[in-house]
Amino acid sequence: MSRSSLLITGSALLLGDDVNTDINCSNKYLPGKDVDYVAAHAFEQLNPSIASDFASAGGGILVAGAHFGINSSREQAVHVMRVMNVRAIVAKSFGRQFFRNAINNGMPVFECDTSLIQKGQSLDIDFAAGTLNVDGKLLKTSEPLPHEILAILSLGGLIPFLQKYPDWNFA
Amino acid sequence: MGSTISEKILARHAGKSSVKAGEVVVAEIDFAMVTDTRAANTIKMIGKLGDTQLKFAKNTALVLDHYSPPPTLEAAEIHTAMRSFAIERETKLYDIGDGICHQVLPEGGHLTCGDLVVGTDTHSVTYGAFNALGTGIEGTDVSAVMMSSKLWFRVPETVRIELQGQLQPGVWAKDITLSMLGRFGAEGLNYHAIEYVGSAVSAMDIDDRMTLCNHAAELGAKAAILEPDEKTYAWLRAHGARAPLPTFADADAHYAQRIVIDASSLAPQVARKHEVDDIVSVTDIDRQRIQFALIGTCTNGRLDDIRQAAEVLRGRKLAPGVRMIVTPASRQIYLAALREGLIEILTTAGASFEAAGCGTCVGITNHLVPGDGDTVISTANRNFKGRLNNKNADIWLGSAATVAASALTGFITDPRTVDGGTWRSAA
Repeated sequence: MSRSSLLITGSALLLGDDVNTDINCSNKYLPGKDVDYVAAHAFEQLNPSIASDFASAGGGILVAGAHFGINSSREQAVHVMRVMNVRAIVAKSFGRQFFRNAINNGMPVFECDTSLIQKGQSLDIDFAAGTLNVDGKLLKTSEPLPHEILAILSLGGLIPFLQKYPDWNFA
Repeated sequence: MGSTISEKILARHAGKSSVKAGEVVVAEIDFAMVTDTRAANTIKMIGKLGDTQLKFAKNTALVLDHYSPPPTLEAAEIHTAMRSFAIERETKLYDIGDGICHQVLPEGGHLTCGDLVVGTDTHSVTYGAFNALGTGIEGTDVSAVMMSSKLWFRVPETVRIELQGQLQPGVWAKDITLSMLGRFGAEGLNYHAIEYVGSAVSAMDIDDRMTLCNHAAELGAKAAILEPDEKTYAWLRAHGARAPLPTFADADAHYAQRIVIDASSLAPQVARKHEVDDIVSVTDIDRQRIQFALIGTCTNGRLDDIRQAAEVLRGRKLAPGVRMIVTPASRQIYLAALREGLIEILTTAGASFEAAGCGTCVGITNHLVPGDGDTVISTANRNFKGRLNNKNADIWLGSAATVAASALTGFITDPRTVDGGTWRSAA
């Protein structure tokens, strides 16, 4: 297999630091509510319009500060974000388990300083090169995502990946 | 450049001579664990794959510990599904009352020095007490492990914390971990592995070492690992573990931070209500009344903890208006406490015992629901608002000795003031 490439484009929608996705993007405190319901109300305590902004824009790229997904471990948060048409997440840093859950469920994550990104700006991310362009100009470079992670993401997550490469022999 | 313990374990399991922090590796797993909180999704996910062979099932344990006993029909049905799955797919199974995952895995001889162990619970870092790299994962991860025996990891940076000197009598690993939370803050070591070394660690017995590693989860740590010694090998032998592969850091290993702490000067610590990192010395607490005392959980439900409580409460009664629950971390610990007469001592003092499991820690079984305005002192690892099903109650955290001393007086109490300070040393 040739080296995976992964390019994502979308407009920026902003959240702040220390976003706990269990509280803001899962049914932990909404027992019995399904993923669609949570998606319509996700993050509303932090940014009341973000779910409708995503819906009217037809999706986009979530931009957050430090520790996105901190204290969270629910994979459901990633499923909710997919329903919201979140194409990728850019954050200064991620909670450890959230980072795993995102990749395992096919959600690309880009780690860099996000303080200069403004709402509505157009983002182009090349995950294999580790570059982030904002309105056509290079803003940040990050460590390129390793080959293994790119391969998992391009197949939509860890389980589809293993169905194709049961012995992880994809190089 | 040399390697830390985590780097060596990950390199060996990835078939590489060395790895460096930040690198992603695909590593062979030695043992995996799924609790009842993540089993439903895991079983569903594997079910969707059809006849996939689960080559790692024999090295996977399903543990029924959080909903123990199940408080709802839904939870009971998860347990039923887990039992069927364990039989059909030939995994290991630990049923209600057998104990908490992080206790039954080492007790069952499922891990040894140098292992790479994963579990669907953040406190899987506990296995570091045995010189194993233990880390928490989610349902997709463990499904992948059952299918392929491997998982991807980003190699963590390591922080080396040296605990010099000796803990004073009445001061325990719990007090060290609480002071670490005060220093770094909750999640302050996100992504990092911790290596705890030094004379105060060597002096600890295995129970206290497990507390030390377990509580690193609240620091956000990916792993917390100790060097092995004769105590480690003896414990593992006694529990039928595989031959150890002792793993030590190189002298020239690279650490993100090196910290030296004098353990001798540490007083018992407590976490004040709602925040696991709002830490003060118990000596600074003035007349804080409590109504409930809880000893148990994967952090402090071991024999040494129950011994500490019995030492404080032998021949005495709980303060009027105080209710106390003790939850041994496993059936083996329950039995050992029974044989030592500790259950009689504590029950006579007014405490109630609950079957081994996680229930009271997370407020799932409702054995302990505080009323409005009540204060709980607990040996648990978390005290978030509402964790025991009442947002109008407060939860404080401390060692088993501090919890028992507080149950005796009805106020948060320095255990060293009980019995005129006749505490046996931590070893």
